[in-house]
Amino acid sequence: MPRISEMPEVDFNGIENPYVPPKQLRISDKLRLHSRYDAEVDPVTYEVIRHNLWQINEEHGATIQRLSGSPVAMYALDLNPSILTEDAEFVYFGPYMQYMSGVTDTQVKWTLEYRSDNPGINEGDMFIANDPWVGAAHQQDVMLLCPVFWEGELFCWVTNCLHQYDIGGITPGSFCPSAESAYEEGIMLPPLKIIENYEIRKDIEAVYLRASRKPQLVALDFRAQVAGNTTARERVIALIKRYGADTVKGVMKRIIDNSEKSYLEKMARLPDGEWYDRTYIEACRPGDRRTHRVVLGLRKEGTRLIFTNDGSAPQEGAMNATYSGWRGSIMVAINELLCWDQYFACGGALRHVDFDPTPGTLNCADFPASVSTAPIQSMEISLYPAYNVISKMIYPDTEMRRDIMCIGGTSQWPATLFRGEDQWGERYGYLLVDPIGGAIGAFSMADGINTGGQSRTPICQLPNIEHTEQSFPVLFLYRKELPDSGGAGRYRGGLSAESCFIPHNTDAITQDTLSSGNATPTSPGMMGGYPSTTNAYAFVRNSDVFDRFGHGNMPEDIGEVEGDEVTLQLREENFLQYPSDVYAVRWTGGGGFGDPFDRDPADIAQDLEDYAVTPAAARAIYGAVINADGTVDVEATLAEREQIRRNRVNGGAPAPRDGRLVYQAAANLDVRADTGGHYWACGKCAADLGPTGANYKDHCIREDRPVAAANPLIGDPARFIDDDVAFRQFYCRGCGALIDNEIAVTSDPLLHDFRPLALD
Amino acid sequence: MSAYLCGLDIGGTFTDCVLIDEDGHLTIAKAPSTPGNFAAGVIEAIERAATRVGLSMSELLASITVLAHGTTVGTNTIIQRRGARVGLITTKGHNDVIHIMRGSRGLSGQDIKLIVHIPESKKPEPLIPKRLVRGVSERVDCFGKVVVPLNEDEARQAIIELRDAGCEALAICCLWSFLEPAHEQRIKQLAEELAPDLYVTCSSELAPKWGEYERTTAVALNAYIGPVTVGYVTRLDAQLKDMGYKPPLQITQCAGGTITVPKAQAAPLLTLDSGPVAGVTGSVYLGGLMGHRNVITTDLGGTSFDVGVIHDGLPVVSYKSLVNQYEYFLPKVDVQTLGTGGGSKVWIDTTTRSLRVGPDSAGADPGPVCYGKGGTVPTTTDADLVLGYLDPDNFAGGTMKLDRAAAAAALQVLADELGMDLYELASGVATIAEFQMADLIRKVTVQKGLDPREFVVFAFGGAGPVHMGVAARELGVAKVIVPQGDTAAVWCAFGAASADILHVDEQVAIQASPFDLGRVNAILDELAEKGRRHLEDDGIDASRHVFRFSIDMRHRGQINEVEVDLDDGHLDDAALDELRERFVARYERLYGRGAALRGARLEMVTFRCRASAVSRKPTLVAAESLSETVAGDAQTGTREIWWAEQRALTPTPIYDGYKLVPGNRLDGPCVVETTTTSMVVHPGQRIEVDALGNFVIDPNA
Repeated sequence: MPRISEMPEVDFNGIENPYVPPKQLRISDKLRLHSRYDAEVDPVTYEVIRHNLWQINEEHGATIQRLSGSPVAMYALDLNPSILTEDAEFVYFGPYMQYMSGVTDTQVKWTLEYRSDNPGINEGDMFIANDPWVGAAHQQDVMLLCPVFWEGELFCWVTNCLHQYDIGGITPGSFCPSAESAYEEGIMLPPLKIIENYEIRKDIEAVYLRASRKPQLVALDFRAQVAGNTTARERVIALIKRYGADTVKGVMKRIIDNSEKSYLEKMARLPDGEWYDRTYIEACRPGDRRTHRVVLGLRKEGTRLIFTNDGSAPQEGAMNATYSGWRGSIMVAINELLCWDQYFACGGALRHVDFDPTPGTLNCADFPASVSTAPIQSMEISLYPAYNVISKMIYPDTEMRRDIMCIGGTSQWPATLFRGEDQWGERYGYLLVDPIGGAIGAFSMADGINTGGQSRTPICQLPNIEHTEQSFPVLFLYRKELPDSGGAGRYRGGLSAESCFIPHNTDAITQDTLSSGNATPTSPGMMGGYPSTTNAYAFVRNSDVFDRFGHGNMPEDIGEVEGDEVTLQLREENFLQYPSDVYAVRWTGGGGFGDPFDRDPADIAQDLEDYAVTPAAARAIYGAVINADGTVDVEATLAEREQIRRNRVNGGAPAPRDGRLVYQAAANLDVRADTGGHYWACGKCAADLGPTGANYKDHCIREDRPVAAANPLIGDPARFIDDDVAFRQFYCRGCGALIDNEIAVTSDPLLHDFRPLALD
Repeated sequence: MSAYLCGLDIGGTFTDCVLIDEDGHLTIAKAPSTPGNFAAGVIEAIERAATRVGLSMSELLASITVLAHGTTVGTNTIIQRRGARVGLITTKGHNDVIHIMRGSRGLSGQDIKLIVHIPESKKPEPLIPKRLVRGVSERVDCFGKVVVPLNEDEARQAIIELRDAGCEALAICCLWSFLEPAHEQRIKQLAEELAPDLYVTCSSELAPKWGEYERTTAVALNAYIGPVTVGYVTRLDAQLKDMGYKPPLQITQCAGGTITVPKAQAAPLLTLDSGPVAGVTGSVYLGGLMGHRNVITTDLGGTSFDVGVIHDGLPVVSYKSLVNQYEYFLPKVDVQTLGTGGGSKVWIDTTTRSLRVGPDSAGADPGPVCYGKGGTVPTTTDADLVLGYLDPDNFAGGTMKLDRAAAAAALQVLADELGMDLYELASGVATIAEFQMADLIRKVTVQKGLDPREFVVFAFGGAGPVHMGVAARELGVAKVIVPQGDTAAVWCAFGAASADILHVDEQVAIQASPFDLGRVNAILDELAEKGRRHLEDDGIDASRHVFRFSIDMRHRGQINEVEVDLDDGHLDDAALDELRERFVARYERLYGRGAALRGARLEMVTFRCRASAVSRKPTLVAAESLSETVAGDAQTGTREIWWAEQRALTPTPIYDGYKLVPGNRLDGPCVVETTTTSMVVHPGQRIEVDALGNFVIDPNA
């Protein structure tokens, strides 16, 4: 299937095909753009205006949060404000839901192209927009775009995006796990002028609200979005009045230019190459037991980055994302790994980044695919490989190496969609938000962060259990961090957690599941690091929980209760949970970084002390030798690891080769060169692992193990999928050190994850 | 012999004692603080004050009617991480509440750099390690109904295990205990039997609020600082009694006002951050004397900038606080802090070639380059010196010489790098710092629905009056008031001396409209009764009792709550209608006109009673007459100062603040110096001395 760049005859206009902005926007002459700017702004004025622009964006986000007051805005912080130039380059993008970045500039560009002539873009207008083919992540993410005018010219844009509770579709809450197309999902609005000359168009607002099961809440959120844009617009105007339009624009341009400069400097320090990552989505519709492959490619040539998704599965069922959703996912990783020092001002970097996916795939779906689940499925599964490929790209630079982050918690969201009548006699429908507690994956120099939240939403809030129990008819038996849930590694991934509840003060709760990453881990770890736990639903019908209550004996784990164990499938619909049915939901943790045998025994001792790792896993995965009193025997541990490594090699070490170090490619993998050319070498013993033109894995000792060996909490994949899954490990043939792991459907070939370019 | 009010404040370096006699005359004494045994420094400060008023220690103590004391013992314990070994008992299955936290690693509203650069962020050190947490079987639901009775055997075993594990304090927090405290109470009782030496605190007594995370952190912190605070307060109380002080010792608390010794022993958490809060309390009183009901209080020191807000005569409060990334419940006067101050480092972002100020600080040691203590990175203070705002030979009352040449050389390096003139650069540093301050003030006013143009600013702290004129001009504030030298210096102690005894009791009882008035009034009655009992325990005569009631309300289905004041502790139908109107008005004031959904169902969440006893207030002596005539020797000379408005060095008159008298008025540019600060009056601004001897800068004259 061809990539977008290979389809010059197709009009990517956001109707049948995704909107892909052209290099030169086609904007009507009716709209005058303010494009003059001061090229020289003194450093003090620059800093004052820059700080102000950041603060304007902050206040914009805070305004939405305060006014909306909805659990979505307050807890999940599923929103983001931004400021863009007149021609839709990012100036600032807020620190909230990062997905929304990739879907913001495209929507403004589309509006410039398709709305500047008719109905026209004028002072006092705002456009509402949530069409995923124009640029929304999914229908629930409703954007409000506000042009800011100065003396009759379009000066800049302020915009925001806010996830809505319900905007229609076949499932309450508008995540529609059984939809087969967008026609069964929420209302879709291509950019639509809902505010004209500072007035809300009542007729248009009515169309919007009419689709929702919760029109009052949507109306309130809409006002919050209007107020956010209004606040930001007024402050930008005040800034212009104070410093002059050309000066403010000069600062905006320089923020972007600076971010570009910073990006270019970073690229200059990195070798060229191609990096690939592969993962899977499970179950695209109820009854589906297949895996759907997701591949991400990154090619770096000089300062240019090209992202591709060749090899990803075709669009199908209800698991897809559009072009902008895929692009938004990758931009999260670009922001956090490459543009954090520019406070996410990624506009400059984007001048050098191409997104070139293959249409018709699950993460670049054509209209009218179902995309309502995109952020918790296809986008999430597109984001985490992006962390991996960018991390591998920046690893060779010792400074940038500090920015590396492994795949974090909730790399696929195990949704628990529930509805019914609550303890106050009212209808409700929502999803368990606990997985937002997430986990942060390991860094290249430190452990990840236990239940540290989700890296794609750097600020979010987990509700208290007392909050959830007040709003919904449930009683939590526990919410706890799980030992071993973080991926093992030299640096351990953050632990995730599990929540367990029964219905309370209600006859029954109607439940849907919607998940992936329950059979194959989706937080796989990096450079020898191990995967975290998978997602897991556990369900025990007709349990003895009330007997236990009567005896004052509360369970601390679902494994303690007696009853009928039920294996819930990943898209099970409309099943009932009765009061004695115990339901536990566990979410993925953070992936580990580096060979677990390189972990300092003192850190393992601390892990045992903190219940982060069980003694069994410490022995099996970390090679720890534990004394009778529970402490770690350091000497014995080091000896044990050495013995295991020697056993792997089993005397077959290659002849020594001592080429010069070109760069460190991964934790235990170097690129070296001598007269024979460039070759892969073990980072520990410098053993030759084959020419860089080949896959180093082909020159390693390979061991294929069941995926359950990768993490004690991973169960049998056959419960959910028909494919076999393997945990492939690659050891240095010289010293037995672990070079890398991969998790793969057994019929898939070895992943050739790094192909250096131009090494001569 | 006069009856004195006495305020005491332990600072990092000095312990201040301020005496106010019945006529309002102030006496101030300082003694070195004595870490390890702070009580010694306190006693020394009182002795020095006694000497100044010509009394013996026992004579003075016998004539003090109120002795109020702000303590930093709890705060220091947390900063130095030297608190008690704490065990936690909680509902089984919920042991990890304080480890899981509530997402975002506790970083919401924190340094943005930690948020955008995740590898730099981490969770705080756990207050209580997992090994010292025990879950016991018991469960209450959202109606306050017991679902699982307390398993006393498990509770006993947990207490014994924690005691044997060497815990010095025990925190108890069960789910929904604010609705049904019986299980927590029983565990506490068992702990007192089985482990009588442990300091025990339970959440339903300390913070009976909705939300187990913030409630658990509150008890955990309370237990952590409990033993050391109790030891200190108890010792000081006994010493003072021995020496002849009879009335109950008053301890300043973070909700504003003071508490007695028994309350401070039970809830030492109330003393956390009480220092800056006392400053706000003092400002409420000062503002009242000057006729200002809307005041922004600012305190700019070497490393931090604290801002509090007084609106309509009352300090703005918050009910959730933050320490070491841990959020906890406690009613508190809201003081926001920014890590910027005189010591903020100046640097260049090399990638973007832009000038940056802070947030890293050189602190007091080595401090700014000009201190000559080894600092090499230039700071805001260095820029102030280069600009001429500060006198190198007369800093801190001449006790410290500043090295202007070193400051200039350090800044020159940065100026060269940016291709700027030295003065342009230094002035830029000041401007950037001033805008950062203006931003924080904007956040605590505009974002709370308050208009800074309706406020005056009080500028405390050595560096405050140097920069506040410009920040105030940015915000459109009408006046910057620099409280008179001595008062400003011991402002926090003064705050303690002007504080009322205050008990804040809260009860969460979530209910949706239509409201059941019988239930509502029963809750209010119970709160009033609690408050009354507290005041009686404090020995306060019923005639001095004052009660204020409020309810936190919200739209059903929303998260944001708004505190609505009641006229008294009883609601009838008319009062309920009035309450609804007040909710809408307050909501729209905070969140914008049209934000409230009229007709939507409302919810009451938290009921609150503030029981206070008005104490005798210090008075201040106003000048009998004002004089516009500036004494001939008030001007001590002129100094070359670089003013951003003129973009040039200008010979500028310098005045001795102590030689100016009430009624004196000077036009900028000029600088007025005292031993503690320099008041920088920019061109186009004006400064005058008011009848109380305070300096008042008009930023937009």
